[in-house]
Amino acid sequence: MKDKPSTVFVVDDDDAVRTSLRLLLKSVGLPVETSASAQEFLDGYDADRAGCLVLDIRMPGMSGLELQQKLNDMHAIVPIVFITGHGDVPMAVEAMQHGAVDFIQKPFRDQDLIDRINQALEKDRENRDGLRERDVIRQRIAHLTPREREVLDLVTKGKANKVIAGDLDVSQRTVEIHRARVMEKMGASSLAHLVRMVIEANRTH
Amino acid sequence: MTADVHAPRTNAAQALEALLDAAVDAVIVINHASEILTFNRAAERLFGYAQQDVLGRDISMLMPEPYNSAHAGYVDAYLNTGKARIIGIGREISARRADGSVFPAALSVGQIRGAVPPRFVGFIQDITTRNAAIEALRYERDRAQTYLDVAEVLLLALDSSGTVTMLNRRGQEILGYTEGELLGSDWFQTCVPESSRASLRARFESELNFENSTQTEYRSQVITRSGEIRLIAWRSTSLTDADGHPVGYLSSGEDITERQASEDALRQSEALLRSAQSIAQLGNFELIHPNGPNTWSDQVFHLLGVQVNQAPLGIAEFSSRFVHPDDREHFKYEWAQARIGQERFDFEFRISRPDGEIRYIHSQGVVSAHPLGELVTGTLHDITDRKQAEYELLVGQERLTHVARLSTMGEMATGLAHEINQPLTAIATYAQAAIRLMDASGGADPVDLRDALVQIVAQSLRAGEVIRRLRAFVKTRTAHSESIEVNRLVEDIRILAVTDARVNDVRLVLQLDPESPVVAGDPVQLQQVLLNLIRNAIDATRDCPTSMRELIICTRPLGDGVEVAVIDHGTGISDSVAPHLFNPFYTTKETGTGLGLAISRSIITAHRGKLGYRPTPGGGTTFYFTLPQLVGV
Repeated sequence: MKDKPSTVFVVDDDDAVRTSLRLLLKSVGLPVETSASAQEFLDGYDADRAGCLVLDIRMPGMSGLELQQKLNDMHAIVPIVFITGHGDVPMAVEAMQHGAVDFIQKPFRDQDLIDRINQALEKDRENRDGLRERDVIRQRIAHLTPREREVLDLVTKGKANKVIAGDLDVSQRTVEIHRARVMEKMGASSLAHLVRMVIEANRTH
Repeated sequence: MTADVHAPRTNAAQALEALLDAAVDAVIVINHASEILTFNRAAERLFGYAQQDVLGRDISMLMPEPYNSAHAGYVDAYLNTGKARIIGIGREISARRADGSVFPAALSVGQIRGAVPPRFVGFIQDITTRNAAIEALRYERDRAQTYLDVAEVLLLALDSSGTVTMLNRRGQEILGYTEGELLGSDWFQTCVPESSRASLRARFESELNFENSTQTEYRSQVITRSGEIRLIAWRSTSLTDADGHPVGYLSSGEDITERQASEDALRQSEALLRSAQSIAQLGNFELIHPNGPNTWSDQVFHLLGVQVNQAPLGIAEFSSRFVHPDDREHFKYEWAQARIGQERFDFEFRISRPDGEIRYIHSQGVVSAHPLGELVTGTLHDITDRKQAEYELLVGQERLTHVARLSTMGEMATGLAHEINQPLTAIATYAQAAIRLMDASGGADPVDLRDALVQIVAQSLRAGEVIRRLRAFVKTRTAHSESIEVNRLVEDIRILAVTDARVNDVRLVLQLDPESPVVAGDPVQLQQVLLNLIRNAIDATRDCPTSMRELIICTRPLGDGVEVAVIDHGTGISDSVAPHLFNPFYTTKETGTGLGLAISRSIITAHRGKLGYRPTPGGGTTFYFTLPQLVGV
């Protein structure tokens, strides 16, 4: 899982645009794979492959937006840079609302596209790093006892030990012992750290 | 030479004898037994008997049957009754000559007073000639009466005071009086309406007293017995006696009430025709070619811009004087055709007026044989205004058609922009990639660079082609006709049509029959129609499932032409929409002008084709248009 080379996946139905993009990305040393349709991309999609998607928003058959929707439905984390025409701003806005990294209008400066692709690749790396951190936190949470899970919930909601003792109908001393065990098992250096870890664990991606 | 068989001669008797011999009339004396006693010279001449042959014989010998047998009875009856049937009266009788011939005679009989036994003297005159004269007179009179009666004119005689002395039967019919009712009446008082009574009487009196009486003609009204006013055309003359004094006035009159009415009607309808011709700018003519009489209505001269009623005008002169020089050959040709076929002609030409104005004339008519040549009857119709309107309409239609194309392109702007943007994007990207390749530390791979440049060229051409199509489609132009391969037409519009299809994610499938013929037409207008049908089909298909979003554009030969069809599997045409489909400004689209189909249909109609639609088997609609094959290709 560690630092497989990232790939730029280009999906565009226009042969010339697709081929020119491949040449451009190749010229800056980025590995490129192209698909002539959304379906073709989906057919070869592998969630474990790092990289980003450069996606034409308007295509016959399955459109770019429809592909984005399908990927979201699959909880895929691949960042998407949309390429759009002049009249497609409303569609681009919709794409952003659904989590696209950015969009770029045709025709474009090569550097603008490359910048966006690099941002997307960075995002992908972060996503994948975050994904790894979350997995660790979730494993630690899984090792807590049921009582310790209850204490963690209430602590991260900002409740004082005394209140927690009341809620759980135990002594305040018992709460303090459970709390120390939770901090230790979670590897948390402070309450703030603990809260951050819980928020991270609750993120979907 | 009279003889008295019973008495001696006396002086008186001699005198009587001389008198009798000198008498012009035949004188015969008989006694009561009808025996002839005296027979004078005239009697001898008249009857052809000598005196001695008849004296003492019965008078009946001088009479033909049946009078001779009856005569004795007459005399006896008179002597017995004293009732005279002839004595003192005189009558016409028939008499018989010695040779047996019978003649009419006037007989007057007298009894000689004092003679016993009674004696009778008869005077006999041959009236053959007189009778003939009277007969002739009567015949003449009857004939004149017949003339008067059968004459279709009113004949009226007035005496010098204006009293009616004669009115013929026709006059009685017109006036409603019998002759008896009017005879003796004052004409003016009875039969002339009060309004003109005084003036007519004054005219009557002045003509009556005018010495050199001549026939005069005038019109005046009469009033009939029933009070109806009728108009009479009179011819009158005054009558004079031997001394030249006026004694009366004779008039013949024709009842022209109806004729006047129809003359008025005719005059009115002629006036109406003139004004109708003027309003319609329609003149008519009738002439005999080449040298016969000719008639041109006033309006013809107005059309020609010359004075009315000019000298006679033949076809040849008409052509050389008025037909526009550029149209003269055409005029001569049409005119020759009409003469050859001796049939209807119907053609248009321009005339050039003396003031230089050019007018469009539509002439229709017919040529037929005539003893003097050819009879030509026809009309000349000034259609300049119509031509002008037609021209303006044509220009207007072209403008509208052009606006519709612009509007279509406006609606397609997104797709068109995309269609141009694609190659531009590819070009920019290739070029930038090439630069990066050249800037790379290891240097560029020439194969990569060459590929990029080849692609840049290809994509530039691709963008240029779209723009070229677009320009051809929207530029202001005059419609014209050229020969077009229908399949080529479809291929040419595909570049524009596909943009819309791509935007709406609809596939275009072309099924072109290689046998499709060549047609004549305006390529841009026909492409406009096809594009319009394709875009409508895309709209009808847009909301359908992907599998249905396919249009088939097919061409196929059809009899002496070709059909181009756009087949969709869309929503079809609802019954509420169908009746309005081709109405201008009717649209079911939010942004449509509603002109597309209306203009398309008028374009196809102008190409002598037909635009229609039918359901696609299995759902959807097929719009099609037909075009006739270009003849001679």
